[in-house]
Amino acid sequence: MIGIDLGTTNCALAYTDEAGAVQLFSIPQLVNPGEERAEPLLPSFLYLTGPNDFPAGTVTGPVAGVLAQKRGAENPGRLISSAKSWLSYAGVDRTAAILPFEAPEGVEKKSPVDASAAYLAHLKQAWEQSRKEPFADVLITVPASFDATARELTERAAALAGYPTPILLEEPQAAFYSWIERHPDWREHVEPGDVILVIDIGGGTTDFSLIRAKDENGNLVLDRVAVGDHILLGGDNIDLAIARTVEQTLKSKPDRVQFQSLWQQCRTAKENLLSNDAKTEEWPVTLLGKGTSLIGGTIKAKVLRSQIEGILLDGFLPFVDKDERPARRSAGLAEAGLPYAADPAFTRHLAAFLNGAGVYPNKVLFNGGVLKAPVVRQRILEQLQRWTSTPVEALQGEDLMHAVARGAAYYGEARKGKGIRIRGGVPKTYYIGIESAMPAVPGFRPPVKALAVAPFGMEEGTSVTLPAGREFSLVVGEPAEFRFFNSAKRNHDAAGEMIDDVGEDLVQMSPIEVTLSGDKGETVRVTLETIVTETGQLQVWCVAKDGRRWKLEFNVREKVKQQ
Amino acid sequence: MAIGSAFRAFFALLGGNLPEDIAKEHGYIKASSVPKPAPPKPTFTPADGAVQLLSILQRDARLVDFLMEDISAYEDDQIGAAVRNVHQQSREALGRYVSLGPVIDGVEGDFTKAPSSSAGDFKLIGNVPASGKAPGGLLRHKGWKAEKIELPPLAQSQNLKLVAPAELEIE
Repeated sequence: MIGIDLGTTNCALAYTDEAGAVQLFSIPQLVNPGEERAEPLLPSFLYLTGPNDFPAGTVTGPVAGVLAQKRGAENPGRLISSAKSWLSYAGVDRTAAILPFEAPEGVEKKSPVDASAAYLAHLKQAWEQSRKEPFADVLITVPASFDATARELTERAAALAGYPTPILLEEPQAAFYSWIERHPDWREHVEPGDVILVIDIGGGTTDFSLIRAKDENGNLVLDRVAVGDHILLGGDNIDLAIARTVEQTLKSKPDRVQFQSLWQQCRTAKENLLSNDAKTEEWPVTLLGKGTSLIGGTIKAKVLRSQIEGILLDGFLPFVDKDERPARRSAGLAEAGLPYAADPAFTRHLAAFLNGAGVYPNKVLFNGGVLKAPVVRQRILEQLQRWTSTPVEALQGEDLMHAVARGAAYYGEARKGKGIRIRGGVPKTYYIGIESAMPAVPGFRPPVKALAVAPFGMEEGTSVTLPAGREFSLVVGEPAEFRFFNSAKRNHDAAGEMIDDVGEDLVQMSPIEVTLSGDKGETVRVTLETIVTETGQLQVWCVAKDGRRWKLEFNVREKVKQQ
Repeated sequence: MAIGSAFRAFFALLGGNLPEDIAKEHGYIKASSVPKPAPPKPTFTPADGAVQLLSILQRDARLVDFLMEDISAYEDDQIGAAVRNVHQQSREALGRYVSLGPVIDGVEGDFTKAPSSSAGDFKLIGNVPASGKAPGGLLRHKGWKAEKIELPPLAQSQNLKLVAPAELEIE
């Protein structure tokens, strides 16, 4: 089994060896022109090599990994980063060549799907070059917050990279599997009735999931009961905030290279000052001089632990009330680009998530490098405790950095019946837009109602047919637009439920425009059937009385959402 | 090992390929019973390996910038701040490509038996007997030797005299 953590900033690959033990694979990659080295992670950066980027004869074509990241810091116009965040952003056409987003004219861009495919292809090639075992039985992890479109695009990237059909697994679940793998006695720490919150704070994204443990005929079962929205906020934001604070104290303004170094050193300072065995209260930061005058131009500064704690606790982890909501962006005009979270407070995002889920956890599993710091873990636990009267405790002994890939490999074995499986199913409720039947009014499009087609938690390998009597007119033989919605908040809508007022709880996915086979202008009476495949792919079928069937893909051809 | 061959070995190590005769002599590779076809003419000189190591230390740690700078005018704490940085990065870079170990793994200051290896690996200092030989002495310096060198291969196309490229920023 091979588990791949296709991360926003780093990719990792874990596998199960013959004995069934989970191992991490070191990924060979270019670290300098003409120099390959195996590293535990593949940085998720793709550099679109241009003329004169590297010494002649060393590197041609796009390059992924450490070298891409290094050269990209010098020339950002050719660097693709955060491809995964773009993959989940419905505001752009994700199959169009749009990255790097701010590339100068003349650079041949790539789509978010192609960039993701490049990382996956690198991993496959690296595996095949250094190991004998076939590249088969692959699991790829995705954020729990990925909607059906983003999942389908991930599968497409895998297909482009020459993968066998992969199984997708949600990252917080993978982190939980990894914890199970590390603790053979885990059943002593989890009991029926427990609600476990998985908090995954990566470099650029944050993901929440709730897992409930319950007793079913004497067996412990785990149900994933809620997943959060996709939040573009992570450890990099914290490091950047510290770097900006330190920058204020410098005598001269750092240039691009120096600021990169400052950012890096602030991360090191944060990790060291906040670690369990920190011995000092401050950490020196040295920006070496520009050009060849190294000593002469050296700028010295220091970061205080109190400074970092202030930024963290006040800016990123303030105590909030359980009904607070994250601030929204208020500027009428914003730079085009990724929809970064407007509110930096992790706690406020967490409050909104738990409020929506309507349950509060009594156990917490942490994942991601940020959560190494005891002060951060402590703060989150304290915050959770303020919201509930049941005692809240953390599950101990997790692997913060590699849990997702390791957990994916473990889950691969679990699927073969060699371990417990978390019952997840569809992470959101999905709806299809239905145009109301009403008299035409000039200038007005008939209002759209939303029909629930896949209820939250619908399990892999099952299907539902919408209640009898619910028949619709399907236009075939000519281009027709289909609109899909999803909701992470309305977890109780059953299949067939019709919502007249598409309010804020429903998120519109990119509309798709397709021409379904049939005579031009023909309208067919159909019923709807929803299938979730064994690999977790969601499909909606229109079924006519005469037996004809049409599949509505979530992402046949994307049209950019009108914002 | 004669001085000549020691130098040859050192620079060859920098370049990543040890002459076969020397490698065999020191047991780095096993003598092969099957005669190999004549190796292609060496295309790189020892100097190429030396420049490569310099360029790595400059690239990863800016060591050449540091060595070439006139530091006489700067205060100690200014130098100290920068040196911590250069030292740490040089150490990391060196460690990635060269594994260094002591020639004699002992405690400095203790009486230590002289190794049986050939002269050149160690030297006798102080009241050295006329024979130039002694069973042992006080270990004053453990010595250093490169135990493993893994430098990336050089390409014929690259500028072998280049230590660091100039940088031009487009505003």
